[in-house]
This record gives sequence, C-alpha cells and structure tokens, in this order.
Amino acid sequence: MATLQLSALEKRYPNGFTALHGIDLAVEDGELVVIVGPSGCGKSTLLRTLAGLESITAGELAINARRVNDLEPAERDIAMVFQNYALYPHMSVYDNMAYGLKNRGVAKADIRRRVNATAELLDLGALLDRRPRQLSGGQRQRVAMGRAIVREPQVFLFDEPLSNLDAKLRVQMRLEIRRLQKRLGVTAVYVTHDQTEAMTLADRLVVMNAGRVEQCGTPMALYDRPATRFVAGFIGSPAMNFLPVTVRGERLELPDGGELDLATGLDDGAELTLGVRPEHLTTLPDGAAMPASAVALDTRVELIEPLGADTLAYTRLAGLDEPVVARLDGEHAVAEGQTLRLVLTGERLHLFDAEGQRLAERRCAVDVVS
Amino acid sequence: MTHFQRYRVTPWLLMAPQLIIVGVFFFWPSLQAVEQAFYVEDAFGLSRQFAGLANFAAVLHEPDYYQALGTTVVFSLSVALGAMAIALLLAVQADRVIKGANAYKTLLIWPYAVAPAVAGVLWMFLFDPTLGLVSAGLESLGIDWNHNLDGDQALLLVILASVWKQMSYNFVFFLAGLQTIPRSLLEAAAIDGAGPWRRFWTVTFPLLSPTSFFLLVMNGVYACFETFATIDTVTGGGPAGATTTLVYKVYEDGFIGQDLGSSAAQSVLLMILVGLLTLIQFRFVERRVQY
Repeated sequence: MATLQLSALEKRYPNGFTALHGIDLAVEDGELVVIVGPSGCGKSTLLRTLAGLESITAGELAINARRVNDLEPAERDIAMVFQNYALYPHMSVYDNMAYGLKNRGVAKADIRRRVNATAELLDLGALLDRRPRQLSGGQRQRVAMGRAIVREPQVFLFDEPLSNLDAKLRVQMRLEIRRLQKRLGVTAVYVTHDQTEAMTLADRLVVMNAGRVEQCGTPMALYDRPATRFVAGFIGSPAMNFLPVTVRGERLELPDGGELDLATGLDDGAELTLGVRPEHLTTLPDGAAMPASAVALDTRVELIEPLGADTLAYTRLAGLDEPVVARLDGEHAVAEGQTLRLVLTGERLHLFDAEGQRLAERRCAVDVVS
Repeated sequence: MTHFQRYRVTPWLLMAPQLIIVGVFFFWPSLQAVEQAFYVEDAFGLSRQFAGLANFAAVLHEPDYYQALGTTVVFSLSVALGAMAIALLLAVQADRVIKGANAYKTLLIWPYAVAPAVAGVLWMFLFDPTLGLVSAGLESLGIDWNHNLDGDQALLLVILASVWKQMSYNFVFFLAGLQTIPRSLLEAAAIDGAGPWRRFWTVTFPLLSPTSFFLLVMNGVYACFETFATIDTVTGGGPAGATTTLVYKVYEDGFIGQDLGSSAAQSVLLMILVGLLTLIQFRFVERRVQY
C-alpha cells in the first residue's frame, strides 16, 4: 500500500511555541506504528500534520516517496479516525460511510457495493439506516472505522480512537483494530497515551516527549532496553522503580546503604539512577541462599494491591522517598506492615546517567539484550 | 400564618411584579382588543354598540386589507430571508476570524442596540431624495430614487432598514450555532474530500438547521409586529399604502382613522394569522430539523 517518510519535521506556531522539534520517522508498508507519550508531548500535533490539518513549518513529509507537505488533506489519500469519532450527526450510518466516496465522484452502484462490503466486514449491516445518536459507543467507533476503511486510503491515522470507550470495550476494539489492520494490510499510524494499548498494538513504538522522539523500536526492545529514563518510566505498568545510586569503585551504593557488585568501570563517586521493573524484583524462598552478586533490599510493605494472578506490593526502602513497587506472585502471602526482603540480582537492571540517558551496556543490562 | 400558608404565598409574592406588568400591559389590553372587536364605537369613545362579527366582515370585504396582506407577505419573506442570509454570511466569516474577532462581533451586534425608530430615521436620511447620500449616489448612476413617490422603492427601503436592524440578532444566534459545531466534523469532511463550499452545504448548514428554524420563527414574528416603528419613521405606510403592512394598518385605522372596532378586529385576525404560521412551522418544519 504505502510508506510514510518524515524527515526533520518541525511544527512551530505563530506564537513561537514549537510543538515538534525535527521528527525523523519511516513507516514501512503495512506497518502499524504507535506514537505514545504524555499529554502535550506533540503526538496529536504530529498526527494532524500527517493528515494535513496542521501545516508543516520545516522538514519534509512524503507518502510513497511523494512530497505531500503542501497538499490538502483530501489530496493525501489518508483516512483518520478521530477521538470523538466525528461522525456526521445528521447523516445515517450509510451516508456517513458514503460521504467520502460521493465527494470523490464514485459511481452510485460502486458506493453501494463498497459501503455494504465494509458494513459486512465490521458487522454494521443492520445499522446502516440509523443515525449516530442511536448507536452505542462501540458501534460509533466501528462506523468511524468503516468510514476510514471504505475509502481504501494509503494510510490510516488513528487519534486516540479508544479513549471514549469503557475498559472492556477498549480491549475488544483494540483486538479488532489489530485484526483489521493486519487483514487489510494497510499502513497505519496510531496515537495514544495509554501504554498498554501502545504495547499491544504496535509493530513499532515511538515514544515522544516534549516534541521530540525519545526512542523508536519494537515494543519489546523498548521494554528491555529503554534508551532514556523517560522511556523506562513510561513503558511498563506499574512503572519502573528508580533508585538513586552512587558509584563506589566496582560497586554501586544503594540508598539504604547496601552495595551491588557490578564491574562498572565508572567514575568513582558518580551519581546515577538505577532502574528495576517491579516484575524483576523477586523474593527469596525461605532458607534459600542469596545468589551471587545479588543484594537484598529490606523493605516494609505499606500497601498491597491484589490483582489475582499478581499482587503488587508498595514498599518503603530506607533512604528513599518513593515507594519501591514489586510484582509478586498472586499466591504469595504478604500483609501490609510486614517486612519484605526483595532480591535485586545483577540482571535486568537499567542504569541512567544524570541526564537520563541509558549508560552504555555494562554487565547490568548485557544479560537481557537479545 | 402557618408554615404551609407561607409556602403558598411567598412564590406568588415573588412573581407579583412580573405578573402585574404582564397583566397590565399585555393581558388587559389584549382582552380589551378582543372585546372591542365585537363593538362599533363612535370616534370620541362616548357610546358603543354590540356589532357581532360585523367588524370582521367589513375588514374581510375591504380591498385595502388584502393589499396590506400582500405587502406583508412580500415584506415578511424578504425581511426574514434577507436578514438570515446576510447574518449567516457574516457569522461564517466572523467565525473564521482569529485576530480581533471580538471587535468584529461587537461591531456587527451594534445595530441591535439602536432603537427601531432611530434606525428608521437613519435610513430615511440616507435615502432622502434631496438630502440623502445614497440617493445622491444612485442619481449619479442614473437611478432616480424617490421613495416618497415610488411605492416599490419605498417597500425596498423599509425592507432594507428592517433587515439591517434584525441582522444583528440573527448574527448572534448563527455565530453561537457555528461555534457549537465540533471542529473535528469539518476536519473529517475535509479529509473525506469535501471542499470548503461543499463542507458548508453538507455539514455546517444542516447542523445549523435548529438555529435556522428558531430564527425563521423569530424573524417572522419580528417582520409582522416589530417593524412598525421602522415603517412609521421611514415611509409612514405610504406612498398610497405601498408600505402599509397589517400591523401598520391596525395602527392607521385605529389611531389615525379612529375606527377602533375595525382596528381591534384586524389585530385579532393578525394574532390568529401569526399564531397559525408559527404552529405550521413547528408542525412541519421542526420535525425535519432534528437529527
């Protein structure tokens, strides 16, 4: 179908605010790229510049190697699914889907055939005569999808399309979007602030922060080797624990005074941040010996959140203001107020420097690189 | 006084000022007019006599009445459609303005704050055959403007003045209506390949239809009743009755001609007519503007 190429794309508003600071991104044919980031990071602006709803200040945007910077939205051959669906309230479901085709002068019989086929695909056949206000949230969402699909565009753009749905429907629609996108083999860019949605949908994930791309890669690559502290904290739920550590020769000094044996080769006395995911903190079975190069964190459990399969323990570590979160097995009997010995092994740890950049691979992270 | 009684009395006390005003200035005179419509009275109001439906019969047999009815139809349609079309055009433009939007809006709303009689005088002077700026301009274009002699020109002038006066009111509502249309709808339409013109007619205009319907009713009522002061100051219903609308005829026959019975009968008929029109609009148009 199509490829998408962004080179040093920049968006500056007349009031001087720069929303996008030179974005570089290449989307392959048939790929689903998810752009994720906190509110105000520029992800929606980026999507709107792709759609042609916002002008591009500098840089280049190409669809199928054709420069489209100055083309109208209609001429870019893209379709967009909006957060609030943006269905035309005065038109039936059929007319909503047919509108784009009518505007392009498609023959009546063709329109009928294509709308019916799309309605079939999305299970909307019985709803074609309804008005949007007579539909449930999930149905509206499907009509919005149908309106995009029926035009057979080069690129699909999704602007947080699931955020107005309840949790159960969101999971269902997420799967449906994924299934449809693969089946139609269409190139898609999907914007969301929900990292679970991002992880599950993406072929490739782009994490944005303050108008810049922090990191780009497969969901698992970002999970395993976050390039910055920001990405580390954003990807994964519950979020990664960050412990301030100090380099002491060949060891790292933890906030509670414990020391972790790492052949770091770092400057003595350097202040770093050690990141460890809740699911990589383990407990030690009774009587078992501490593994070599591991260090124990003696914590007090402040709060537990039983999730069924897992239990989240929010614990307090001496010398640290933030709670340390551990994801324990659901069977693990743990009570609020008790002390809990968490084991920090040398594996699956992430080290970030004072600027939040991931440190070049040391022993701590080499283990998990595939 | 028990608590219960006080509970019953207080609401009436609070409503009393409004009720008294409405009663004295609306219900009482209205009832008087309805009563009067069934009597013949001498010019000095010294004696009167029950006349049954004779007043109505006389009015309905009078050619002047049908002329006024025809004038009213032309006048009302022109004023309502003209004022709405211009207001919509201005509202669409103002909605797109970003810098100085408030200044534009304020300026466009201003005419509404001008009293109808003042507005009438203003237009009368602009188009005055001997003093007027506009009529002088028209003269240089070879158009002989004299609304004191030419009935069509006179009608056109009162239509212009009334449209100008009502436009601001419509503008406010259209602008508010436009601002309730989500941007994303127009963006979706743009992506769907609709140009600005097509976007307006297939998305914006249909979505404004509840506003348009409301304004159609309000403009109809305005054109029928509230243009009296404008007509009175600009043309005084002339020349030769060319700008005498139904409401102006009520005034002319009643207060100039002192035929109070006929005037009252006409006002009752006018009330019924406008009531019917509004009813028809609600029954047949309103159901088509909901989505």
